[in-house]
Amino acid sequence: MSATARLLGRRWAGRGSPALIGLGTVAVLLLAWELAPRVGLVSRVTVPTPTDTLRGFVQLVSGGYWLGHLRSTLIAVLAAFVLGSTAGFTLGTVLGISPFVRRVITPYVIALQALPKVVLAPLLIGWLGFGTPSKIAVATAICFFPVWVNTMVGLSLPGADEFRLMASLRASRWRVFRMLQLPSALPMVLVGLKHALLLAFTGVLVAEILAGSAGGLGQLAESFAYQLLMPLAFAVVTLVILIAVALVTLVDRLEHRIVFWTRPEGADER
Amino acid sequence: MSVAAPSRPGLRRPARRLRRLRIPAPAVSIALLPLLVAAWFLATESGAVSRILLPPPEAVARAVPRVLQAPAFQRNLVRTVTEILTGYALGSLIGFSLGLLLGSSTRLRRAYLPFLSAFDAIPTIILAPLIIAWFGFGLAGKTVQAAIACFYAVFITTLSGLSLADPDAVTLMRSLRASPWQILVKLRIPSALPAIFGGLQIGATLAIIGAIVSEFVAADAGLGFMMVRYRSSFNTAAVFVLILIFLLLGLASYLLLQFAQRKIVFWRHPDLIHPESST
Amino acid sequence: MTVSRSEVAGSTIARVTGLTKEFRSAGGEVLAVADVDLEVRQREFLSLCGPSGCGKSTLLSMLGGLTPPTRGEVVIDGEPLAGPSRDIGMMFQTPVLFPWRTTLQNVLLPIEVFGKRPADHKDRARELLGMVGLEEFVDAYPWQLSGGMQQRAALCRVLLYDPKLLLLDEPFGALDEFTREAMDLELLRIWSETAKTIVFVTHNINEAVFMSDRVAVMTPRPGRVVSVLDIPLPRPRERQLMRTKEFADLVFEARSLLGVA
Repeated sequence: MSATARLLGRRWAGRGSPALIGLGTVAVLLLAWELAPRVGLVSRVTVPTPTDTLRGFVQLVSGGYWLGHLRSTLIAVLAAFVLGSTAGFTLGTVLGISPFVRRVITPYVIALQALPKVVLAPLLIGWLGFGTPSKIAVATAICFFPVWVNTMVGLSLPGADEFRLMASLRASRWRVFRMLQLPSALPMVLVGLKHALLLAFTGVLVAEILAGSAGGLGQLAESFAYQLLMPLAFAVVTLVILIAVALVTLVDRLEHRIVFWTRPEGADER
Repeated sequence: MSVAAPSRPGLRRPARRLRRLRIPAPAVSIALLPLLVAAWFLATESGAVSRILLPPPEAVARAVPRVLQAPAFQRNLVRTVTEILTGYALGSLIGFSLGLLLGSSTRLRRAYLPFLSAFDAIPTIILAPLIIAWFGFGLAGKTVQAAIACFYAVFITTLSGLSLADPDAVTLMRSLRASPWQILVKLRIPSALPAIFGGLQIGATLAIIGAIVSEFVAADAGLGFMMVRYRSSFNTAAVFVLILIFLLLGLASYLLLQFAQRKIVFWRHPDLIHPESST
Repeated sequence: MTVSRSEVAGSTIARVTGLTKEFRSAGGEVLAVADVDLEVRQREFLSLCGPSGCGKSTLLSMLGGLTPPTRGEVVIDGEPLAGPSRDIGMMFQTPVLFPWRTTLQNVLLPIEVFGKRPADHKDRARELLGMVGLEEFVDAYPWQLSGGMQQRAALCRVLLYDPKLLLLDEPFGALDEFTREAMDLELLRIWSETAKTIVFVTHNINEAVFMSDRVAVMTPRPGRVVSVLDIPLPRPRERQLMRTKEFADLVFEARSLLGVA
């Protein structure tokens, strides 16, 4: 993702053939997208051209109501992210400090990782209704896991030698946690947080698409598509994509700053 | 299976006491399950949690045969599995081919990677309403959704995997005057396999999610479709049963891929818990 | 056999004239190898010996056609060298066996790359592996072999396709001393049995003197061949040789050339 982040952050000074090939292909595709519906290759009703989408965008923005939906989505994402990461980090710490507890719950973690968390959405919607609380609950449930798992894995990173060193210094349990386990876990936790933010966004969108009355961009896209108001639907989808790219760029930049200070080792190891 | 690890300072008391009793961790894991079920039973029995929201264990147990023997169940199961497998195969094939293409040409990679990287950010879920509008409620739409969901993971891991070849091995091949094609097939692709399987594992999860979400939005068949139906009729016990089935589906795909990985990439050990790939 | 090999008049198999290599780096230009003239005689064992950074690996790489020289030329068997050649076999410090191939399959790798049929060479491959004591491990995978065993397999790989010239870049440098000594003796045995020409890179002066007919001593910054010592010690070389005065004198001479006597 950092490749695009770099691209966005740097002025493109016509560096030679790779740039031309890339941009050229994009230009050709845009042209094809513009012409195909006009020419009748695809129905213009179902596939709006880029200019149609632009018009839909203008229509959307001038309508005014879009801001409310945008706000609804973003607030839900923030709430879910904060809830999910706090819960994930807390539970991860509580369960992750002791290697014995970690070994005991490993099969359950594997099972939970195998469960596609989205299937909890209908259940949560059934419990909490069609409104905002279920939206936040679904997104929280989804974005909680990366932080939880990564916290536990991160706390288990120090090896036997490191623990022996702390023991030889007669370090208290709290000291061992604060000075050894926590710093070692930090890179992994940050990676988990990064994924959690994006998953919170996805989770909110899923819940919005499913639960009609929750408002939000997902619901907008769904109802526009349902009514075959495709230019508007495309406009909302484009907006969502732009927000997602912005979120990822922001996270990348932040990560760079923090990573620079903490010098992670093997943070992105698979 | 025995207790592991040398002594660790400051272990939590219960854990230390259990260790002194030399109870192995797996035994505790297994013992946890009936404890959880018992807690569940108590919660609903005592009325602490409403029975409408949380059906008691017996209710879910009774619902299992009812769901499995429902006339449409097998048809729906086959439908969902077909959607997932077809979409996964399609998305993985495209992702792998694209990764191979960009991996063998520096110029193509420099040209297209920045644009393709943007795909990583797109929550493919948002395309669900559009795809359903185009492809309808049926199998095709779910397949496309699953394919789009998993394509990027396989693509990016293939691409990065191809660059993992040992530089000394590349030098060796060059000293033998191996052609770029030979270096790709004999060295780079095998070296990339562990990473590619990592991508396939993630892709499988994403394909499953894609298909399920699409079924939730609008469908004419499938397990997700069934689940929505059950929920609208407040049959929460059946919803739980379906959640369990999805869990088994996820586990099955995970185990199958682990098995395949152990056979094909026999020279490396796969990880048990995947950090940061939980979805 | 007490006649020293270097007394046998051998024709030149490789010649290097005015060979220079410059690298451009962030700090400017680095002169790795400066103006080296060297000849490699048929069937001899020649060592390139010097401290780290003296350019011996770069020189070897140019000799093998992997690195293009900035100036000067490499001539193999009368033909100027333009790139890697199938008449030249190289070994590196790491065995570089492909982990998904068995020992036998690894040894047969060059045959596959050349487009020939591996089946035709299986017997010869097994014979070579037997020669180095790996007959039991023909179907084993690299992770099942020790470092020394892997290097022996790598040696078989390079011998299988019978290159005229063998270039070995510190092949035993990563092994412990005992294994390295054993491998050195093994290499000498194979060399005497197969009559190959070997250029051997090492930073270990004792090893260089012990193994070679001639030692090209290199000094660093920039990399230069200061002198080429004749090693008239009798063959076959045995460990006791290292306790003789002649051996010590030669090592001393090499060391003084390097300024570390």
